[in-house]
Amino acid sequence: MNSSISVAAAPVASAKPAASRLPGTFWPRFIVGVVLVLGWEFIVRWLAPPYVAKPSTVLMAIPRVIVDPVFLTATGSTLAAVAEGLAIALVFGTVFGLFLGRSRLFERSVGHYVNGFFAMPMVVVLPLFSLWFGYSPATRIATIIFAAIFSIVMNVADGARAVPREYLEVSRAYRANKMSVLFGVVLPASMPYLLAGFRLAAGRALIGAVIAEFFLSIGGLGYYILYNSRSYKHAEAFVGVLLLAAFGVCFELLVFWATKRFMPWYRRER
Amino acid sequence: MLNTAIRRHAPFWLSIAAGIAIWEIAGRSTSQAFMVPFSVTIRALWQLMLTGEFIRQFADSSELFLTGFILALIVGMPTGMLLARVRVLRIGVEPYIMILYATPMVALIPFILSMMGFGFAPKVLVVFLFAVFPVIYNTVEGARSIKPELIEVAHSFRSTEWALWRDVMVPYTLPYAMTGVRQAIGRALVGMIAAEFFLSSTGLGQLIMTASQNFDTAGVFASVLVIALIGVALMRAGLAIEQHFARWRQ
Repeated sequence: MNSSISVAAAPVASAKPAASRLPGTFWPRFIVGVVLVLGWEFIVRWLAPPYVAKPSTVLMAIPRVIVDPVFLTATGSTLAAVAEGLAIALVFGTVFGLFLGRSRLFERSVGHYVNGFFAMPMVVVLPLFSLWFGYSPATRIATIIFAAIFSIVMNVADGARAVPREYLEVSRAYRANKMSVLFGVVLPASMPYLLAGFRLAAGRALIGAVIAEFFLSIGGLGYYILYNSRSYKHAEAFVGVLLLAAFGVCFELLVFWATKRFMPWYRRER
Repeated sequence: MLNTAIRRHAPFWLSIAAGIAIWEIAGRSTSQAFMVPFSVTIRALWQLMLTGEFIRQFADSSELFLTGFILALIVGMPTGMLLARVRVLRIGVEPYIMILYATPMVALIPFILSMMGFGFAPKVLVVFLFAVFPVIYNTVEGARSIKPELIEVAHSFRSTEWALWRDVMVPYTLPYAMTGVRQAIGRALVGMIAAEFFLSSTGLGQLIMTASQNFDTAGVFASVLVIALIGVALMRAGLAIEQHFARWRQ
C-alpha cells in the first residue's frame, strides 16, 4: 500500500473559470447546454407522463419552492447536519490521519481497518446506526461522519507520509518535540492532501445525508425530494436535486479556489 | 525465508486478531440487541450459507452489479474517448460532466422509482448512473493531457483515423480511464446497495433489510461484514487494475 498512487485522492477538478469567459469556450458550452435542455424538454413531452419533471415545469416551480418554508427548513436542516458532520470528521480525521501517516506501528495495526471502512459502501451501516441511535437526526450525523471521515484520514495520512525528509531533519536538529513537529510541520506540509480529502469527503457527506434521510424519513432536503416525488410533484422535487447539485459543485469550486489561492505552488498532475 | 514472511505478516494478523477480540468482548458486554460478538456473527453467517439463502442473494447482487457496471464501461469509455478526440465537443460537454460528477446521484432514486417502478431495469439504471460519470470524467481528464504533438506527428505521417485511435488515443487515455474504473467500482457498489434498499428489495441489500426488520442483529452484522469484505476485495482489484495500467503513463 506504499505506492505513490493515493487511494482516496481523486483528481482536482481543473475547470478554469477564467477560460469560460473566452469566446472559444463559451459558444460550444452554450450550445451544448441549449441542446441538453431542449432535448430533455421534448423527449419528456413526447414520451413521458405529464408529471415527469421537464425544464419548463422545473423553472416554473423554482419561485414557488424557494419561498416555501417547508423547503427552507428542509434545506437548513440538511446543510446544518452536513456542516456539523463534516466539521467533526475534519477535526478527528486530520488528527487520526497525521498519526497514521507518521507512526509505523499505528499504520500497521489500524491501517487495514481504515482501508476496510473506506471501501465499505456507506449505505450498509444505516440499519446498524438506526439500531444504535434510533430513527433520529443523531443517526444522520453519524452516517455523515462515517461517510466523510475515512477519505480525510486516508488523504491526510498520504500527505503526512509524503512530507519532505529535510523538513523533519531540520525540526529534529532544532530539537522540536513530537507534537509540534506533527502539528507545526507535518500538518501544513500535507495541506494539499487535506484539501483533496476534504473535497472527496464533502461529496460523500452530502450523499450520506440524503441516503440517511431516505432511510430514516427525517426532515431534510433528501426527504423533501422523496416526499414530493412520491406525491408526483416531480418538478418541486427536482428543484431539491438542483440545489444538491449546486452544493456539490460549490464544494468542488471552493476547494479548487482554495488550492489556487493558498497553495499556488501546488499543482496536481492527476 | 520463513522468518521474514512471519515478520512481515505478523503485524497484520495480530491486528486482525486484536480487532476480533475487541469485537468479541464489546459484543459480550453489551445488549445482544445492539451488538453481537464475532462468534455469534460467524454462526449467523454459517446459517445463511447452509440454507443457501446467502448464495442466492449474492448471485442476485452480482448480476445487478455486473450489468450496471459493464454498461457504464461500455458507454463511459467510448464517450470519454470521443470527447477526447473532438475538441469542440469536449469543451462544450466538460462543464456538464463535471456537474453530473459532483451531483449526489442518490437524489435521483425517488424519480427512478416513480417512473420505472420495481423491476430489474431501474436498479441497473441506478448502478449505471453511479458508475458512469467517474469513467467519463477521468477519461476526459486523460484526454486533456494528450500532447498535441503526438497527434500532429501522427497526422504528418498520414496515419488513418483508425490507426490514430489504436496507437495514440487508446493507449494514452487508458491509464486515466482506469482511475475512473477504480472509482466507478466503489460507486457502483454503493449504487447497488442503495438500489436494493430503496427500490425493490433483492440481493444482499434485502438480506440486511430483512434482518434489521426482524431485529435479528446477528443477521445484520453478518451481512454488513460480508459486504465490507466484498468492498475491500473490489477495492483491491480496482487498485491492481489501475496500477497495472499506470505503468503506461509517462
